[in-house]
Amino acid sequence: MTPSRRPGRSSAAGIAIAATFLFGAWAVAAAAVGKPFLPSPAKAAAAFARLAADGALGVHAGASLSRVAWALVASFVPAAALGLAAGRSARVDAVVSPLVYILHPLPKAAFLPIILLAFGLGEASKIFLVGVIIFSQVLVSARDSARRIPRQLIDSVRSLGASRLSLAVLVVVPASLPDLLTSLRVSLGTAVAVLFLAETFATETGLGYLIVDSWARVAYPEMYAAIIAMSLLGLGLFAAVDAAERLLCPWRSYRT
Amino acid sequence: MVELRELAIDYPAGSANARGRVPAVAGASALFPAGGVSAIVGPSGCGKTSVAHAIAGLLAPSSGQVLVDGEPVRGVRGRTAVIFQDFGLLPWRTVEGNAALPLEVAGVGRSARRERVRPVLEELGLSGFGRFYPSSLSGGMKQRVAIARALVSEPDILVMDEPFSSLDALTREAAQEFLLEVRRKRPLSIIVITHSIEEAVYLAQSVFVMSGKNPGTISGRFDIPENEAASRFAARPDPDERADSEGRADFRSAPRYLELCAAIRTALRGSGRTDDGAVA
Repeated sequence: MTPSRRPGRSSAAGIAIAATFLFGAWAVAAAAVGKPFLPSPAKAAAAFARLAADGALGVHAGASLSRVAWALVASFVPAAALGLAAGRSARVDAVVSPLVYILHPLPKAAFLPIILLAFGLGEASKIFLVGVIIFSQVLVSARDSARRIPRQLIDSVRSLGASRLSLAVLVVVPASLPDLLTSLRVSLGTAVAVLFLAETFATETGLGYLIVDSWARVAYPEMYAAIIAMSLLGLGLFAAVDAAERLLCPWRSYRT
Repeated sequence: MVELRELAIDYPAGSANARGRVPAVAGASALFPAGGVSAIVGPSGCGKTSVAHAIAGLLAPSSGQVLVDGEPVRGVRGRTAVIFQDFGLLPWRTVEGNAALPLEVAGVGRSARRERVRPVLEELGLSGFGRFYPSSLSGGMKQRVAIARALVSEPDILVMDEPFSSLDALTREAAQEFLLEVRRKRPLSIIVITHSIEEAVYLAQSVFVMSGKNPGTISGRFDIPENEAASRFAARPDPDERADSEGRADFRSAPRYLELCAAIRTALRGSGRTDDGAVA
């Protein structure tokens, strides 16, 4: 039995059409404005190719990607575990929910100066800031998702004599997985935006640094090339979560 | 054999601040015959699902006892299988994965699981659907998967909570026949919880009437010898013979069947209406 829909192919075509439209609008705007701060897409693409060829783009993109990846590794699993536990246990929730109310609405990016002071100017502060964003988002989604699991599913597996641990493995985690991946998708968008901010301070690597540095050097085509690269990073992360969902949640493709 | 002795069940009151508990069931006593089909019939809110959960060991009675073969039930019992109203299938598992779940929980290895699940799927006409997810199956098929899952653990007691209520009328009748067919092949005590009088009278040799609300209790018992295992499940010369189900279908229009339905309906009415008054 094959799924009737192929999300991969149709969404790739959609993205191509949207990108073409975006670049077209950009080209028209650049021609109309005629100022150096808005170079044509062709000039930006040439700068992109040049930076990619001399390896600079790869180094910066690699630095940015590694920061997001470490933040993800460090925050996703603990946030998911804590959130799911809170959603299923009133005792854990009594501790976690107040924490969520305090942590979630905070403008975490505004704490960048404090984080820099606390974690130093190195990688740790940038990874921490991005990690906190992902952590709080995933924690809330995990808790709410675990709360919504139909009671009957839990009872039905409990009636087989399942322990709390096997209930978690057999029911709670798989039932919440789609919601966890959705929260990851949402938080990765925010994470890339915050990454830009974090990379404008105390570093000489990363796409955020490249954008601000090119800006300071009045190298506008390079600045646009870096912006494109950062967008592609976001797109790539998005696509990676989609791929993970297709791999981990195959039952979802049967939904209409 | 399952026995309820002065069973009482209560729940914490809805709001966390409110002290006190809401009684769901009180003083319920019943003796379910071994090896046969019994039914508990009652309107919604009478506490019959609580009784099902207590029999399954999913909740502890606040007083009284559930006894299985003379032993009080404390927690989930390995050979009591439960089928829930919406079948309780895990949407992320295939038919085979769902059917193998009891064995997986019990720590049975992968190949042994497969060996034990295959024949059950085959018996229930599911062998071609092992790799399907529940969402791609019809209601009747989902129920077969739930029955397969229950049978895989080789239970001696099967508790079914409103097993047919989410099925359309024709599928429901077919599913009832199917259940009796499954029972015919193994010595299994089945307890069906239902709000449908017709269903209870058609399936069960003992129908227990539940009434009242907060708490509800078992207020009556009707025995239907026509449905007893000895007469219904007597060895047949040819197991594939379909005439039996035709013969049984006649029971639904027999005067005796209609009389029993009317008597049970009167028993339910006489013991006081519940909020919706819906006695099927």
